[in-house]
Amino acid sequence: MPTTLKDLMNNPKEALLKGHFACAGCGSALAFRHAIGAIADKAVVVIPACCTSVYQGFGRGVAFDVPTINVAFASSDAVAAGIKHAMEKKGKEAHVVAWAGDGGTADIGIATLIGACDRQDNILHIMYSNNVYSNTGGQRSGDTPIGARTTTTPFGNKAQRKMVPFIMMANNASYVATASVAYIPDLVDKVKKAISYDGFKFIEIDASCPVAWKSDSADSIKVARLAVETGVWPLFEWDNKSNKAVLSKRGSKFRNKENRKPIEEWLNIQGRFKGMSDEEIKNLYADVDRQWTFLEKFLE
Amino acid sequence: MAEEVVMLTGNHSVSEAVKRVKPDVIAAYPITPQTAIIEYLSKLVDSGEMDSHFIRVESEHSALAAVAGASWAGARTFTATSSQGLLYMGEWVFWTGYARLPVVMAVVNRCLAPGWSIWVDLQDSMAFRDAGWIQIYNKNNQEVFDTTIQSYKIAESKDIALPVMPCLDGFVLSHTSSKVILSDPEEVYNFVGDYSDPIIEIDTGKPFAYGSIVMPDKYNKDRKDLMEAMERAKAKIKAVNKEFSETFGRTYGNGLIEKYGDDDADLTIVGIGTMADETQQAIDMLTSEGLKVNSVRVRTFRPFPTEDIIDIAKKNHKLLVIDRSVSFGHEGHLQMEIESVLKRNSIDTPVIGKVMGLGGEDVPYTRIAKVAKENL
Repeated sequence: MPTTLKDLMNNPKEALLKGHFACAGCGSALAFRHAIGAIADKAVVVIPACCTSVYQGFGRGVAFDVPTINVAFASSDAVAAGIKHAMEKKGKEAHVVAWAGDGGTADIGIATLIGACDRQDNILHIMYSNNVYSNTGGQRSGDTPIGARTTTTPFGNKAQRKMVPFIMMANNASYVATASVAYIPDLVDKVKKAISYDGFKFIEIDASCPVAWKSDSADSIKVARLAVETGVWPLFEWDNKSNKAVLSKRGSKFRNKENRKPIEEWLNIQGRFKGMSDEEIKNLYADVDRQWTFLEKFLE
Repeated sequence: MAEEVVMLTGNHSVSEAVKRVKPDVIAAYPITPQTAIIEYLSKLVDSGEMDSHFIRVESEHSALAAVAGASWAGARTFTATSSQGLLYMGEWVFWTGYARLPVVMAVVNRCLAPGWSIWVDLQDSMAFRDAGWIQIYNKNNQEVFDTTIQSYKIAESKDIALPVMPCLDGFVLSHTSSKVILSDPEEVYNFVGDYSDPIIEIDTGKPFAYGSIVMPDKYNKDRKDLMEAMERAKAKIKAVNKEFSETFGRTYGNGLIEKYGDDDADLTIVGIGTMADETQQAIDMLTSEGLKVNSVRVRTFRPFPTEDIIDIAKKNHKLLVIDRSVSFGHEGHLQMEIESVLKRNSIDTPVIGKVMGLGGEDVPYTRIAKVAKENL
């Protein structure tokens, strides 16, 4: 039975408690609450440098209700692997999750990520992507979309988006999925499904960041939903047994370009894209097409 | 299986010791001259002779990160590295020390590039003297075996809780076979004890956050605690050395330093690692010529044997400190520490420093004797 919003309201265990430091409208905090909440009883969370290392709070006031280990930037999967191996050796059950941003996953952490995937370490890596180094004030990351104004690309990012889920598919992770804070029940189902697989699992969540995206904090869900509806963020699952990708129910109709809203709708409610030239918009459309062309090879 | 007497390299002396202490998790990455340690352990794990998890990581940074993760989860752990590998894991060397995880990491000392060289000096581990690790430097393969065992007993003591780096000179020890008494595995394991009551242990359903944001007052308290643990470690290292001697009949000075020759010498040669062992031959030669000389081998560089150095400086007339590493813009690391100890304690025994043996340069006892004579 797919998870419903009602189920989430009745979720018996919260991973995120009151008193966290996340900004209003933070997609990462919302995703953490439900993704980790879904597996909280057996979860161990490893967090490299990222917004989550800050918004968990500090001292006796830490707002995470699961064992949480904060670690160096480029090492979350290695630490998670070490924890998982130790717990297995001691005969203890645990879902060890590396919870990292796009910088800690796509950029500085990617060697460690792929290393853990090669070894099929029995862990789940959740990449919450706000497409930018938010914690340090909004610099371009490998997952920044074309055209985005960041503090290190003040006139617009020109580089293509690094599609980490595809990298993980090529590297034979046992389970790969994309998710969005706009579709929380879908995210929860994917997390629960991921932990049913042995070996290395990977989920990337499109997680709104009103600060870096220069969007209204009340629009965090709306922006994330538009990313799906415009085709910018395809929602899918893939596993290495079938080598087939399946579009998620919420996003499946956007496979057909005719059903997609214009990308400009997504761009226009975010200040980070203000001033994009026609050329940049064209390049962004092309980069989105590139993602779908790749994904199509795995769709039925 | 009882005690065995074998010809063994320094690297395999580490492996044999690790085999006997039965770590839960090993993670490692290859680098010369350390690699033979982990190759041997890989074989033991895959053949089922050792019941450990071996994580074949993609970098040294991940090797220490994985071992730290396992240590947080309450596991006994091991890793090993050298030179550039130690530098590459540098972020985690400090992280592990500051987190006070009882990790044991063998460091096979090798100089740093450029240019490419695989031979010994101590620049690699000396670069991490401030990382909160206990560092024990060894003189021969027997000591390598024994120190590796002792390291676990020191690291895992609840009143210490510090990572330990047994250091051995690359090639001079790592790849050179010599006689080693391999103690009975069961006796070794009993000496170290099991690690069923760990210093820290992650448990699901028991939420806690490790390493989140910390304010300056707590941060300072944590570092002060580390400083105090290092101070306590001096007595612990001595006690473990003594207990080891009572159990296995082998001893290394008082655990912190090893003296050679009589007090009241005109010149005391202070050194570290195998060069300090070679120095003993120089002392024999010089003594036979009627000269009043003796030597001291510094075994633990961290914690630094301050009290012993004071004692030596008071009982002798001049110190010649031989370093195999150097702080550019200043002087050799050992000399630096010794001068600081003497100055702080208003001891005016003269100190002469000599940096030798960088990049694997051969330093025979005849050369040490020559330098000693020049400075008598």
